[in-house]
Amino acid sequence: MRKPKRKNAFSWKQAAGVTMMLVFLVFALLPIIWAFILALRPENRLFEPIWESPTALTLSNIPKLADSGFPKALFNSFVTASVSTALAVVIGVPGGFALAKGRSSRKFLASWALLLLRMAPPVGFVIPLFILYLKIGFLDTWWGLIGAYMVLTLPLVVWSSWTSLSQIPDELIEAALLDGATMGQTLRRVVIPAARPGLVATSVLAFLLSWNDFFFALIITRSDTVTAPVAIMNFVSYASVDWGSIAIASIVLTLPTVPVIVFANKYIVQSMGGAVKG
Amino acid sequence: MAQVSGVQPVLQRSYRLMLMPAVIAVLVFAVLPLMGMFWLSFTGFDLVKGWDTGLTLENFTRLADDRRFIGSVWVMLALSGFGVVAQVTAGTLIAVGLEKIIPRWRHVRGIFVVPFVVPHVAVALIWLSLFTPTLSPINAFFDLFGITVPAFLTTRWGAISAIVIADTWASFPFVMLLILAALQGISTDLDEAASIDGASKMQVFWRITLPLLKPALLMVALFRFIETIKHFPLIYVMTNGGPGRATQATNYYAFIQTFQNSKVSYGAAIAVFLFIFAAIISFWVARMNSRLSDA
Repeated sequence: MRKPKRKNAFSWKQAAGVTMMLVFLVFALLPIIWAFILALRPENRLFEPIWESPTALTLSNIPKLADSGFPKALFNSFVTASVSTALAVVIGVPGGFALAKGRSSRKFLASWALLLLRMAPPVGFVIPLFILYLKIGFLDTWWGLIGAYMVLTLPLVVWSSWTSLSQIPDELIEAALLDGATMGQTLRRVVIPAARPGLVATSVLAFLLSWNDFFFALIITRSDTVTAPVAIMNFVSYASVDWGSIAIASIVLTLPTVPVIVFANKYIVQSMGGAVKG
Repeated sequence: MAQVSGVQPVLQRSYRLMLMPAVIAVLVFAVLPLMGMFWLSFTGFDLVKGWDTGLTLENFTRLADDRRFIGSVWVMLALSGFGVVAQVTAGTLIAVGLEKIIPRWRHVRGIFVVPFVVPHVAVALIWLSLFTPTLSPINAFFDLFGITVPAFLTTRWGAISAIVIADTWASFPFVMLLILAALQGISTDLDEAASIDGASKMQVFWRITLPLLKPALLMVALFRFIETIKHFPLIYVMTNGGPGRATQATNYYAFIQTFQNSKVSYGAAIAVFLFIFAAIISFWVARMNSRLSDA
């Protein structure tokens, strides 16, 4: 047996461990705190260290941001991300269900294809889309961007609903079918409610994938349908960089992603990694 | 499905029907553009000059001789290699630390996830400000002690480190979450048995925990590797590929050739190269994944 240790005994190893964790905590938090400081600093104090004038703070960046084109860009982001997520869920969840419960010899192929679509560099999708959109006049339209975002959302939704729906017990589905429900009814009334948390988390993640996208929007949108991540770059010009607006816009852009921290983080594991067991 | 024998064929048909829309949508939205990419890579299309007649292999033969392209592959490997090592190390240390060193600080876990949800363009801009010497609080802090922090973004390795640091900040939580999940799957019996036999905490970590984490670590490293290949906002915002071409990774080079130099077909050929690269790695991941789920 080990000698029973005295509780709260000081140990150098423990102290080193805690110090390491604190260093990581500073690393994780510093940029976030810094973004808030930048957002609240008046322009003439920007280049002064915060500890020299810690009370020189202003809220003037907020109305300034509201008057810029940024709110409209946020709206564009919201519309395109929502529609592409909704479409991906409506089309993808039944597909994921079929892959989870149906019999097929091509499941490995399907899983590779889905993974590959999620891993393939966006530049490969965006070049042909750009040429196509140029020809058919889809550049700088919502539908053009939504079409591009389907590349992001659909493979994710099919993949993660496949993972989460395979955990639904077969007996549940059989019972519903024996009671005379059709396959579609079984999916809607039995399977989806039983897997709701996982599916909601999947939708949230799919939404975020489009919401956070920079590359597709940079190529496909111009002024009318520019999304928020690209619109932030308007605050950067050759002459000067409007750090206050950038910081407040970054904070506003990040806000919708906060629910992920609250409730979806355990599903990130599922939908990103699939079955990762120890 | 269990044996509801007469119903089976009907069932399988309805499963196929349910799969149909997804298959069609994937074909239209994803496979079609990819075919377009392959097709373009065998043509000579230029946004300014227009079409060059006929199919050709010229784009690919040019790739082999293009020193900017070969340089970009090295930049990509440097950014991905250092990035993955840094992220996997930091994420694993934090996950293990949360479980073993400070298991009681429950709410800290949530804080560590925050960077992961910040949009990459915001990550890039925030780190750009932290790497701007006149603005950065880090520089100002070290100035207090008379230490001048070097300007990262003006030197080759400085710029590469800056992107690696920003990417590590944004991505260690992903590693952390996956490793936390894997740690929870490891039974604590082994740990206890080893410590009863007199192993120190460090020995337990190196000899027992780490080997058991190996499949999860390999998986997460591959996932991160493929994501780092797609780096775009960080490079676009923080360095624009510079100084010189120091941070012009292959993905970024494809973007420049296509959208700045108008060489669409050449850009598509570079994209094909990246796609094949991704196909090999995803095949590996899919195989590992199916083995893990069968186990």
